[in-house]
Amino acid sequence: MILIIGGSGSGKSACAEEYAAALSEDSRRYYIATMRVNNNEGQAKVERHKRMRRDKGFNTIEQPVAIEKVMDIIGLSRATESTALLECMSNLVANEMFSGAAPKSREEVTEKIIQGINQLSKGFKNLVVVTNNVFEDGIIYDETTMSYIKAMGIINEKLAAMADKVLEVVVGIPVVVKEGK
Amino acid sequence: MKLVVGGYSQGKLNYVLQKINTDNYSVFDGIIPDDAQLQETFAQKKKVIIHRFHNWVKARISQDGNPEEEILLFIQKSPEVILISDETGNGIVPVDAFEREYRERTGRILVELAKRADEVVRVICGIGQKIK
Repeated sequence: MILIIGGSGSGKSACAEEYAAALSEDSRRYYIATMRVNNNEGQAKVERHKRMRRDKGFNTIEQPVAIEKVMDIIGLSRATESTALLECMSNLVANEMFSGAAPKSREEVTEKIIQGINQLSKGFKNLVVVTNNVFEDGIIYDETTMSYIKAMGIINEKLAAMADKVLEVVVGIPVVVKEGK
Repeated sequence: MKLVVGGYSQGKLNYVLQKINTDNYSVFDGIIPDDAQLQETFAQKKKVIIHRFHNWVKARISQDGNPEEEILLFIQKSPEVILISDETGNGIVPVDAFEREYRERTGRILVELAKRADEVVRVICGIGQKIK
């Protein structure tokens, strides 16, 4: 598994797609999209990403919550031959945390997402996960948002420990943070 | 063109000034010199440093300008420019639409500039890491 982290507008998506495409060689490519579209700006973002992926041969699966379900959709035998790119963790964590009537605890969200990623990581031949650096604006937000940021931090830490390789994308340039096998 | 990026208050300008002969450079803060300023700078046999480039991007967005194209044109006129910019994307995506647009567009402009740059340095704690 490769973990790719960057800020907004850092070029992390393009970088992740290149990595996933290179890893998959001729095998099947899946794009697991976690963003929920609920306005024009979101729609424009999705369209921009779709244009970027068009020629790279990704099959898109929209899975805003419960990413482990991707395994049921694709099936283990096909997954073991395929590469998946999951984008992105910030939307997944927000969707898991804030979809219900009341926000879920960060422990519950963290546990569920790490288990889901574990299943995908074991199931797919290659897995690339895109996550976000939401940690450096120095603003103290309300309690719910701080809990979200904390959940993102814990999840990133666990994903990085699981990952064979961690890259930080800075102005479009991948900088190696963890170099595994 | 050289690009120097990093977080707020990381000593980016000092890093740059230590690496160069300051007699040979003019520093512009948050603005891109116009043609007259550029000619004056060149007449003094100086090169251009743009400090707080992100502030210029923000100003041009709020003035409905086209910073994406304008900066590329400027680089053609001043190919040896050193651009210094904050990285603006490493936070919670802002609720405010303008702030969101500013961060996203600044990020994308920096990605484009990094592709064209001869050298990209990221500064943290005053120390530069050459990433390209």
